Amino acid sequence: MARKHKGPIRPLGKGEYSLHLELSDKEALIGLLDQLRDNLMNGSTDEKLKRLFPTAYHQDPKHDEEYQRLMRDDLLASRLQSLGTATSVLSRKSVDDTTVLTAQELDEFARSINNLRLVIGTVLDIDESDIDVDLDEDDPDDQRLVLYGYLGWLLDWAVTAQLDEYS
Amino acid sequence: MNNSEVGPTTVKEPDVDSAVDTDRPWIVLVWNDPINLMSYVTLVLQKLFGYSLEKATALMLDVHHKGRAVVSNGTRERAELDVYRLHEHGLWATMQREDA
Repeated sequence: MARKHKGPIRPLGKGEYSLHLELSDKEALIGLLDQLRDNLMNGSTDEKLKRLFPTAYHQDPKHDEEYQRLMRDDLLASRLQSLGTATSVLSRKSVDDTTVLTAQELDEFARSINNLRLVIGTVLDIDESDIDVDLDEDDPDDQRLVLYGYLGWLLDWAVTAQLDEYS
Repeated sequence: MNNSEVGPTTVKEPDVDSAVDTDRPWIVLVWNDPINLMSYVTLVLQKLFGYSLEKATALMLDVHHKGRAVVSNGTRERAELDVYRLHEHGLWATMQREDA
């Protein structure tokens, strides 16, 4: 079933998508992606990054240690690749703030936006009850919550744009 | 080296884990977390495993309401690959033996 698309990401057909964001939004996103890339490249073991490197063998620490030894670098490389693609897409010269993406670029863009949500959500210690809250604009955590909500909105449109391809 | 000398013999122990893997399949679990969007989880399950929207949605709802769902099964190597691909997409996935 065809869906109506009124959000910032829309399917164009033939495996292409459009991304429409204001320049200020693109610049803000690039800044966040750069911060995350720096943290990852510095080999940070910061607790806020823990959701990006989950446990694989939850019942078997010995096997999990081996898994992490073998796979962590691959996972890191994959995340850096996606972050690079997302930054490249957002930096691309556009007409009327609209950029054309391939399906692969949209997949990597969506993964990168989700990576940002996982980190910010971890910092905020998000739980199921955090859907409706009264915001105080002077509270840094509330500013993060607004950003977290914005990233969720953007990711949801990235999902919606791809739904027809998989349904 | 003198070939007539008899050197120490290295006995290769059977890989017990591998032998067991053949008989006891592994399952891949996706766990509930409050961060990942329900729509995103559904799309990832469709994309990685080729599930229909209906099946992917049912699995996502199991994750959301029951705390976890089995999304694939097979050999240990297959399960590790699936876990890796789910981790790439930011889902909280683990693996274990089917009867564990």
